[in-house]
Amino acid sequence: MASTPTTQLLSDLEDRVERDLQTAIRIFQNLSPEALNRPSATGGWSIAQCLWHLNSYGDYYLPRIEAQVKKGGTASTRFSSGWLGSYFTKMMKPGQGMRKMKAFKDHTPPQELDAPAVVAEFIRQQEWLLTLLGQSYHIDLSRIRIPISISRWVRLKLGDVFQFYTMHVHRHMVQALRNVPAT
Amino acid sequence: MAVNESLLELRKLTERFHPLQGAEWESFAAIWSTFSARRKEQLTRAGEPERYIYFVLDGIQRVYFTDGEKEATLVFTYAHSFGGVLDSLLMEQPSRYYYETLSPSQFLRARQADLLDLMNRHRSLETLVRKGVTWSMSGIMERLVELECFSAEERFRTLLKRSPHILQLIPHKYLANYLGMDATNFSKLLNQVKI
Repeated sequence: MASTPTTQLLSDLEDRVERDLQTAIRIFQNLSPEALNRPSATGGWSIAQCLWHLNSYGDYYLPRIEAQVKKGGTASTRFSSGWLGSYFTKMMKPGQGMRKMKAFKDHTPPQELDAPAVVAEFIRQQEWLLTLLGQSYHIDLSRIRIPISISRWVRLKLGDVFQFYTMHVHRHMVQALRNVPAT
Repeated sequence: MAVNESLLELRKLTERFHPLQGAEWESFAAIWSTFSARRKEQLTRAGEPERYIYFVLDGIQRVYFTDGEKEATLVFTYAHSFGGVLDSLLMEQPSRYYYETLSPSQFLRARQADLLDLMNRHRSLETLVRKGVTWSMSGIMERLVELECFSAEERFRTLLKRSPHILQLIPHKYLANYLGMDATNFSKLLNQVKI
């Protein structure tokens, strides 16, 4: 796998999180609860359901990432994705003809949601993620491994977790944006 | 923004307080350099000394207090205002507050030592700072009156007048905190005021 300088990788990821965070701040938190809860035109998830889904993954990953980041360590100058990490990240990319993946039970949003609270929690989690990325310049993104939510036996490099996690967020942001009422 | 353009903005502000002439302006301009920060960067932490005076070029920041349980937002800083924890800077004592960015931000900033040195050497700079601090104190007195006498809704409208786009620029929880409200009540207020 081709390697990237870690500073470049982290900086790009911070940019990606910043862009999605701005979408939530500029648009989502200023929509009415009705607009946030409205199912998509094709009967798919509402904005609130997309964000709830993302929050459920944040609940799993963010505390685990923080625990590792807090331990510190020595920086790694370059990062190479593992094959599984690359695969996950590629699967998450939004794009033409997105495969409709079925969400796992714990990550399937309920119908009734306190939409403003879900948006606020999403914003809180993305700010947290941004802070964690900023703190990761001084640790080894390859050495540190995080068990993935679907199988605790599979541990991916932190650099890969950051990549597929932020890509997953972006994928659902693209989906949620399609629900924004035209003005 | 290039340093020259930014210094023009800084000069516009200082002209309003106390215009500096020729060589004195040059000495003042020389202590500032550009600085940028991402969202949610802690520029100053409680317990540490405030090492810089900031002049905000872009973005929104806040000075806040927290003891781990309670949190109070003292002030938001925006483009073309000064930033940082002013009392710690000038008293040369550890800060009691935090100064953080709430959005990606651009600044000019000058080191505490350089500013204090200039103030010692030039009477006009000491005057400039005195006038700036007085104006800042006056703003705080106004805010105390606001907090005592006006409802959250009225204070929210005042804030919106000063910065109409703030709802689209920062997470609402910081606005709620500034107004002394919890998130749910703030959402309700927002739905009332927005129409």
